Amino acid sequence: MITAGVDAGLMNTKIAVLKDGKVIARAAGATGGGGRREAIEKIWAEALKAAGADPSDVSGVAATGIGREDVSFAGKTIVESLAAARAARFLYPGATSVVDAGADQTRVVTLGEGKDITEVVLNQKCMAGLGLLLEVAADRLEMTLEEMSALGPETRDPIPLNDGCPVFAEQGALELLNKGVPKKEVADAVTDVAVVRLLSILNDKVRPGKDSTVLIGGLTKNAAVTERLKRCSGIDFLIPEAAEYGGALGAAVFAAEQNH
Amino acid sequence: MAALWERLCLRRNKIIEEAAMTGEFKKWPESSWTSDAIQWKKTDKIAAGVDIGTTSSQAAVFVDGQLFGYASIRTGSDFRGAADAVIQKALGSSGMAVKDIGAVVATGFGDKNVTYATQSRSEILCIAKGARYLFGPSVTTVVDMGGQTTKAIRLYEWDRVRDFKISDKCATGMGRHIEVAAEILRTPLTEMGEKSLDVAFDPEPVSTTCYNFAYPEAAGLFRQGYKEDTYKENDVLAAYLFTVAWRILGTVGKLAPLDVGDMTVEKELGLTGGLAKNKGITRRVERELNMTALTSAYDPQLAGAIGAALFA
Repeated sequence: MITAGVDAGLMNTKIAVLKDGKVIARAAGATGGGGRREAIEKIWAEALKAAGADPSDVSGVAATGIGREDVSFAGKTIVESLAAARAARFLYPGATSVVDAGADQTRVVTLGEGKDITEVVLNQKCMAGLGLLLEVAADRLEMTLEEMSALGPETRDPIPLNDGCPVFAEQGALELLNKGVPKKEVADAVTDVAVVRLLSILNDKVRPGKDSTVLIGGLTKNAAVTERLKRCSGIDFLIPEAAEYGGALGAAVFAAEQNH
Repeated sequence: MAALWERLCLRRNKIIEEAAMTGEFKKWPESSWTSDAIQWKKTDKIAAGVDIGTTSSQAAVFVDGQLFGYASIRTGSDFRGAADAVIQKALGSSGMAVKDIGAVVATGFGDKNVTYATQSRSEILCIAKGARYLFGPSVTTVVDMGGQTTKAIRLYEWDRVRDFKISDKCATGMGRHIEVAAEILRTPLTEMGEKSLDVAFDPEPVSTTCYNFAYPEAAGLFRQGYKEDTYKENDVLAAYLFTVAWRILGTVGKLAPLDVGDMTVEKELGLTGGLAKNKGITRRVERELNMTALTSAYDPQLAGAIGAALFA
């Protein structure tokens, strides 16, 4: 049985194709703009091609993410937390919680027995756009996302930056640049803002398991953030391969359940 | 009907692909000009103004009170490098070197990075002076819409600033983030304004608190559109740019009136800064304030640099 999950996020759409409990294909692309529906369909065609499947072979498609209503070929739509929970359980049967950090939102889902979800904590509104901050900062600093990711797990000489909101963090970064601070140090400071903000949600509201917490979402592509987060929180996160496809995988797992 | 829709989609995709080839939706044109008619070697006074902003940097050079050259470039991450590059670009191939310039006034967020400056002046004064140069002596209300802040300035009829207001901290970066929105919404920055005006009715602005809330909300309108068939790409752009205009209006509204007890209503307004080139914003600001924006032969982004040069 082939099922697929589509995670239509704020900036990118991710698709995972699942066959008998194994991921056989993935595809992704930028779908922020007006032709979103057509763009998603294009990625869908790519995913099917990669999987070597025909649309008629697919027994179920579930969609998630902010743009889930735009997935014309999806039979079901589910909320992001549910998709994250399904993905975590599928990848790591012993997982107790899952952190999903994306371009706009961050959520922590505490898992119960089996398919149960006991708690969902969403980020505070002032933490919106955390993933976007890193992208905007990279653009401002004229660095690639890979360079940002290669900053390493430690800041030698940390520069405090306003972490109240991404808007202020960017203003702070500009003031540093104006003073002639090397851009690598500014990038370090911005990365620390992202880490502090993620820590605040992990420390205040939930108690994630030390070695049973799964981390998914686009932010996992930034190794500097994940390494620093591990070090500061003391949580040894389980980061799956292709973690940015977590939501899509969860949706595909959900679609497979529905067809049983 | 279906064929028409298909053709429209194809055209759209073509535009997107062309833009994707240059790699960026957020690009805006840099500009420069140097006079080849003015003989600068035999003149008494050469003065320059350099405005290093957070997003763009400008320089203007005056020879005996006549505009000799100007340049407008992206600041990037190296403020000092931008300060050096922008003056070189303004001088062009005229043969004039930075050391030939008698006085250089620096202004803007990064004015400390202009190592060759003889003095520094406040942005407000420079913009006010520059606006009088661009729009003529009649302008009394000037709104500078830049990358990081919006500044509203009210001038006396003679050359003096009566009052000014700077946008509040939550509106910081609103201008620069139009570039980011262009990337997310996948619409070329230079076409944004025109497209946003091509709507049947003007939608309500989206969240006006901070840009961080504005574009997820704007992007969310697409979703509503496919459900109810009301919001199309242009409507989303209109809603987003109306939000930006709304924030600008908030700053202008805090200005003290021209004269206490004076009921004369101003009809004209000078708009400067990078956002003044976006018709989607300027038209909405004009409409809501019921004023007409004055036009200038020069790039409205140059106001700060020209003002600074006139101070030199």
